[in-house]
Parts: sequence; structure tokens; C-alpha cells
Amino acid sequence: MNLYQPHLMRICEITDETVDTRTLKLEFRDPAVAESFKFSAGQFGEYSVFGEGESTFCIASPSTRKGYIECSFKAVGKVTQALRRLAVGDTVGFRGPYGNHFPLDLMKGKNILFIAGGIGLAPVRSVIWTVLDQRDQFADVTIVYGARSVGDLVYKRELEEWTRRSDVKLVTTVDPGGETPEWKGMVARVPTAVEQTVTSVENTYAVICGPPIMIKFTLPVLLKLGFPEERIYTTLENRMKCGLGKCGRCNIGATYVCKDGPVFTAAQIRQMPQEF
Amino acid sequence: MTNRFLTHENLSKLVADLVAANTRVIAPVPAHNDPQKIDYATIQKLEDASFGTQLPRRSAKEFFLPTTEVLLRYRDGKNGFEVEEVPTTAKPQVLLGASPCDVAAMEIVDKVMNWDYRDELWFGRREATTIVSLLCSKMDDTCFCTAVGLGPDAVRGSDAMLMPIDGGYFVRVVTEKGEALFKNYGTAQLSDAMYAQARKSGEEAHKKVETNMPAIPADFAAALARNFDHPLWKTMALRCHGCGACASVCPTCHCFDIVDEHDDAQHGVRRRNWDSCQTQRFTVHGSGHNPRASQTERFRQRVEHKFSIYPSRFGEILCTGCGRCSRTCPGGMNLAEVVGEFRTLAVSAQEGSAQ
Amino acid sequence: MKALQELASKLLSDGTVKVVIGYEQGPRGVRPAFITDPAQTSKLIFDRRCTQNLATYLNPRRKHIAALGKAGVVVKGCDARAVAGLIREQQITRDSVVIIAVRCGGVLEDPTSTAELTAETTSPRCGHCQVREPKLHDHLLGELPPAPPVNPRRTEQIAALEKMSAAERMQYWNAQLERCVRCHACREACPMCFCVECRAERALPQWVDPSPTARANRAWTMMRVMHQAGRCVDCMECERACPSNIPLGLLARYIADSVEQRYGYKATDDPGVPAPLGVFRTDDGEEFIR
Repeated sequence: MNLYQPHLMRICEITDETVDTRTLKLEFRDPAVAESFKFSAGQFGEYSVFGEGESTFCIASPSTRKGYIECSFKAVGKVTQALRRLAVGDTVGFRGPYGNHFPLDLMKGKNILFIAGGIGLAPVRSVIWTVLDQRDQFADVTIVYGARSVGDLVYKRELEEWTRRSDVKLVTTVDPGGETPEWKGMVARVPTAVEQTVTSVENTYAVICGPPIMIKFTLPVLLKLGFPEERIYTTLENRMKCGLGKCGRCNIGATYVCKDGPVFTAAQIRQMPQEF
Repeated sequence: MTNRFLTHENLSKLVADLVAANTRVIAPVPAHNDPQKIDYATIQKLEDASFGTQLPRRSAKEFFLPTTEVLLRYRDGKNGFEVEEVPTTAKPQVLLGASPCDVAAMEIVDKVMNWDYRDELWFGRREATTIVSLLCSKMDDTCFCTAVGLGPDAVRGSDAMLMPIDGGYFVRVVTEKGEALFKNYGTAQLSDAMYAQARKSGEEAHKKVETNMPAIPADFAAALARNFDHPLWKTMALRCHGCGACASVCPTCHCFDIVDEHDDAQHGVRRRNWDSCQTQRFTVHGSGHNPRASQTERFRQRVEHKFSIYPSRFGEILCTGCGRCSRTCPGGMNLAEVVGEFRTLAVSAQEGSAQ
Repeated sequence: MKALQELASKLLSDGTVKVVIGYEQGPRGVRPAFITDPAQTSKLIFDRRCTQNLATYLNPRRKHIAALGKAGVVVKGCDARAVAGLIREQQITRDSVVIIAVRCGGVLEDPTSTAELTAETTSPRCGHCQVREPKLHDHLLGELPPAPPVNPRRTEQIAALEKMSAAERMQYWNAQLERCVRCHACREACPMCFCVECRAERALPQWVDPSPTARANRAWTMMRVMHQAGRCVDCMECERACPSNIPLGLLARYIADSVEQRYGYKATDDPGVPAPLGVFRTDDGEEFIR
């Protein structure tokens, strides 16, 4: 088996998060791999539809749960559209896990502020559940999650679950104009929601993922609140093919998103040439 | 290692024996579609080869990283898709009479091919191949191998080097593979005159290329990184077509694409193909956003990758100074000129700060 | 030459153009020049080594050049036909470019050579050139040199190909295309290949495999040539750009001849003349519809 050969996965569950975002739950067809497969929250993989190609997504399920992985995606191109045509029982290829991960060991005993926008909740969700599966190892957990509209919120079942938990503070928000009459959450853009939610940054790490424009406007808020750049973690995306550092595609200056990332601190990102 | 002397007849017999044993022998030959040009191709006898006439128009990298290569075969079976592995061991082959600039490239690219994940396809071919270079005598003023720490006499990456002397070849044996190849051919009885002639031709060739460009200093990688946003990139990229012809002829360019292809509704392959950072779509996201939106950024990437990024990650310049990119470019781009411009910048910046 | 340099200087100084795209001496021979400073116009040259078709740089897809501002471009007749093509197909407007045409006596096939023009060294396209004095121009410079020597290579090659059977021709092209690596230099160097998204790059649906396999190389090459029918200006940049020296100019010439035979159309530097495949006439021949 050469390094470009994927594991064979079977689709065991399909969830439509929104009209355009779908989650696939994938089981390893090989029970030995199902048993031995390990990854860390933040890592990604190359998911393929045979005959169409490979596509890069994070692993959206937590590292604490075995035997399966999940991915969430929008059908924007050839491979993702083909993924969307698949049904339960169909085969998907998976190569991974690749990349670095969120340094949860550093965050043990500390507070974590999770911020996500739209489908950006997918990589963050992996970390959230990994943390909640070891809840006593971490201090306060706050989640600020927003989307353009109520219809664009993903993982709605889990949002409800997190709301019901007393050991999690969840703030959901939609952009002004995106609310429905029944909406009980905040109506504000994510940067504003963050500003209004966060009271203290002491002993707190920030984990933030979302569309570039959201990150662009939320980062200054975090810095103003007092987060040092070394305690703000995010992920970068770039076009990838091999996912393991050889095809020469995903680098930003001398940093390879597939090897040095996809998880970076705001401090690291500021040092990179701004070729995003 | 024991050096040897081979007459042309000895070498001819070596080739004949290899071919008879079903070992592929690859050498520079007149190109089939243009006899004025040279390609690396399979030969059946030594007389098919054309040694020392000119640099082959492509490098030898295609024998280790083919222009297109099957990574796996898939089949839609009754239990869902199945995948068939491809072999990662290759049949033995000998690359004979290759240019030192082409040969050194393999060791340089080995570094990325072994970066945490071992590329079995690349190394399968590397292990199966014995590489015999030929002392280069056909350099021109576009070559700059000596500036990147190599030379027409450099044995980096060679298992042995053929050095033409009176009556045949002085064979400088470098590795055990080279020793095994030449063991039963020619003689190990080498006169002082043979050594002297080989040494002299090597030194003379080296001196010739040295005049083309002074050695690239160790701090050049850092200087290029500092000058990432310099306006000079914009001026230099204007005439670049973004075609990637440079990358296709380059011994060290190894960037690739991965695609799936159907053979029919149930069968197909996943392939790895040559690709180039110079093309418009190389880094375009699914959303349509392109971090390298114009040729300025794309041209900068090529030079930075070769002279700054690869050195900072792997300690090697990703260039062997063969000059093919500058010779093949339809838009008149010139890598030596670009390197020269940024060196001048770096030096004057140093002088400026020293004041 | 002096007239060219002085004109360029004037056009830049008085702001008529922001950049003059012409030719200069580079480290390895003649290469394109992008002059934005009137003081640098002394670099501009024009002689038999000015092979490259500079019209390619007017393609609006080349944003880093378009960003420089209005351009003046030095053209030979073949290049002027390309500019006419870009205007005809509405990629640029006539008034968005200043056309500096130069009377031409033929060019070397290799711009890095310093040889004299002979039957062997002259580009095969020059021998039958009928636009040595371009009609599309804002300025027309130079004396009309004598007609260039005729390089018979391409005519001979086409004659040889026409004598072959279809199977033999297929074999010939398969052998040629074996060396294609799908770098698409032919497309990037071609002034008429200006599509923002080339059909070969499209993934949804995928028309041509991107891989350099025999079947895909054939499909790519034939597709590109067919898309040039009635549009190709015979500048032979495709052949010059190809790192595998595939004789793409043969296909270019052949398709141009076919279009001329069918529709009486030759590539012209008059942007007002419509290209045959872009216009329908009631007397168009239809013998290929069966």
C-alpha cells in the first residue's frame, strides 16, 4: 500500500445540516483499521469519490470516539458534488490523518473560548466534543457560534445539546436580517457577539474558525479584549492535493499548511508573508 | 571504491550485457522528432547513444517521477469500490551518460520525498536505478552549476562518473552500486597519466562554468525571504507567460497534481501528473479565491521555493544550475538574471546597514 | 530603431500610454521589454531577432500587465493580425491600445540567434507573408526591407503528411505527442488563447483528462487547434514555446489553409472583417453535412 492509497470507508449516516451543507459519518471497512485508527482534533484528511477525485476537509468528529470519522462539506466543485450524490452504504476513500492539531495538552486546566462562523464550526466541533468528552480536565467552556441566518447554522442537534448542558456556555447568533420570528438567540455579527459575551481573558485560550472575513474582524476584537496572539488558535486553508508536503501547492512562504498547520496561532500567521 | 578504465568496446559490452539481462539502459540519444536535439531514452546498444553532444532538452527526472503515474486502480465491485495496489518496486535500470546537473537533482529531491512520509513510488525507482553520469564538456554561458555548489565534474548523486580520456573512459566509482556495475569490465590498473588527464579535464570544465556566476552565498535564502514583497518581482514577472515549460524541463521541479480518470463506468485510475506553480489554477480555492492571483506572485513562488523555502526546510538549493529554464522560456525569462538582481539587492542592503 | 525609441519616449512622456511593450536585448537574445520610463526607451530595438508575438501580453486576463495602464505595443504584420483578432473578438477595444507597427523583412525562427536571414534560419511563416507592411496601426515605422528568404520546411512537411494515409498520419502525430507533458505552453504563448477558463481546465464537466496520456494529449492538441480555426494568425509561438519541440505550427498552418479553401478567409489585420466561424453566410458550403 503506497502512501497515496486511501482507506476504504462506508457511509453509515448522512445528515443535511443546511440546504447546502452535509455531514457524512464514515466507518472503516477494514475492522483492523477501525480498531487502530487514531487522530487528534484539528487534523484533516483527503476524502475521495473514486472516479471523481479527492477533496480536503478537516475531521469533524472528536478524537475521543473510535471506529468512525465525520466530515462536513458544501458541494462547490467536482468532488464535493459527487460526494453529495452518494448514499448510505456507498464507499468513500480517506487518506489521513494529516497535519498538526490543536494543542489540547496546553489548554488543560484552562478556560477555552470557541468561536465559529458558518461551516467553520466543523473543525471547532471536533475540538469541542474532544474537550467535552474529558470535561473535568478543562475549566470554563464558552462557545460563540454564528451564521448568516438561522438556516445556515450547522450541527443544530448539537447546539441544542450544548445549550442544555450546564458546564457549557453557548451563545448563538445570526447576522441582522437572518433571524426568524422564533429565533431566541442573539442578532449580531460574530465579532460583536464575541465582544458582548467575553468578560475575562485570564487563563483563556481562543479557538476560532470561520470565513476569512469573520476572522479578519474578530481578531482585532480578541486582541482588544486582551488575548495575546500566542493564545489565539485558528486554522488556515489552502488548495491541497497530496496533503503530506510533497506536491508543492499549499505553502505560504516557507510554511506548509499541510505539515506545519492547518492549526496556527495568530502570532504565527502574522509572521507569514501575507499571501492568502 | 576502486576506479576503473574502460575502452569504448568495454563499455559497449557492458551495455550489451545489461540489455541481454533485461536491464533497461537509458542514455542521451538524438530526439526522435528532432535529431538536432537530445533526449534521454532507452537504448539497445551503446552506439544508439549520443554522449557529450549537448544537454538533453528534458532532465532525467521522468525516470523517477514519470510525467504521469498510476497511484492506484479502482473497480466498482459488488461490495462497493475496491482498490488495487500498484507495485512500488521497479525493475532494475541503468541511467548511463547523464549530465551531472540532472543526476545531482535526484538527491536533492530525495529530501522532500522522504519528509516524514516516504514516497515509495519515487524511492522504488531510485533504488532500482544505477546512475552513471558523464563529465560535462558542453556547457554554455547559461549554465551555473558551480554557483549552486555543483559542477560539470560533480559526482553528487552518481554511482559512478564516466570521464572521457585517451582511449576510453576513466570511471570514477563513487558508490557500491557503481562498483558492482563496473566490476567485471575494463581494468583497475590505472596509470598516473590516466588520473592526471581525468583530473585535469574535470578542473578545466569546472573553471569554465565558474566564470558564469559566482557562488550563491549561504545567506541568500534569508535575503530572498526578507525581500518577499519587493517591487522587483512585479517587473520581472511581466514577460512570464505562466506556461510552466520551465518546470517541465527542470531537473528539480517536482510539484504534482492528483486526478482520477475513468476507463469505463466501473474502472479507473488515480494518477499523479506533473504540475507547475506557474499555472493560473495551481493554488485556486474551490471558492474561486486565488492567493497567487497574478503572475507576479506565481513567478515569485518559483524563485522563492528554489532558493529560499527549500533551503530553509531541507538545507538544499532546489536548483542544479542546468540553465534549461532560461533556454526553453518562450518569453525570455532568465533565472540567472533574477538571482543576480536579488543578490545585488541583498549586498547593497548589507552595505547600507553596515554604514 | 531611433524613430521607435523617440516615438516611445514621446508616447510615455505625454501620457498617451503608460507602458510600451516592445523588444529589448536580454541576457540570451531578444526578449520582450516593458518600458514605463521615457528615459529607458533607448533599450527598444527592432531587428530580425524580434520573433515573439507581443500581442499575447494585451490579453486582459494578464492582470499584472493590465494594471500598468494603457499600452503601446510594437507589432509586425503577424502580430498586428493578433491584435486585430483580440479587437474582433472583443477582448480589447481599438482605442485601448496604441499600435506601433514596424515594416518587416522576416524574422529568425530563434530569437537567441544572431545568424543572418537564410532559407534555413528564417521562420517558416515569413516566406509567404502578405502583411509585411501592417495596415492596422496608429504609427507605422521603418523602411520596407526586401522580402525574406523562403523556408520551405513547413510546406514540405505538410506535403509529406498529405501523402500519408490516415493511419500513417495518426501514427506520426501519436509519436510527436508522446513527448507532450501538458504544460500548455502552447496555449499560454498563443495570443488567441485568451479564455479565462480553458475548456481543458474545466472540471465540471471534464472534457479532457488533464493527464499527459496518449489519448488525452491527442484530445488536448486537436481541441486547441480546432478552436484556432479561422482565428490563428500563424505566428508559430505555439511551436516555439513547446519544450518538447512538437511541430504545432504544422497544425496551425494546415487549419488556416483549410479555412481559406472553405471560406476564402485568410487571417487579416483588419478587425472589421469577421472571422468565418463567427459569422453565417447563406452561401456557406455545406458539403460536410451529410
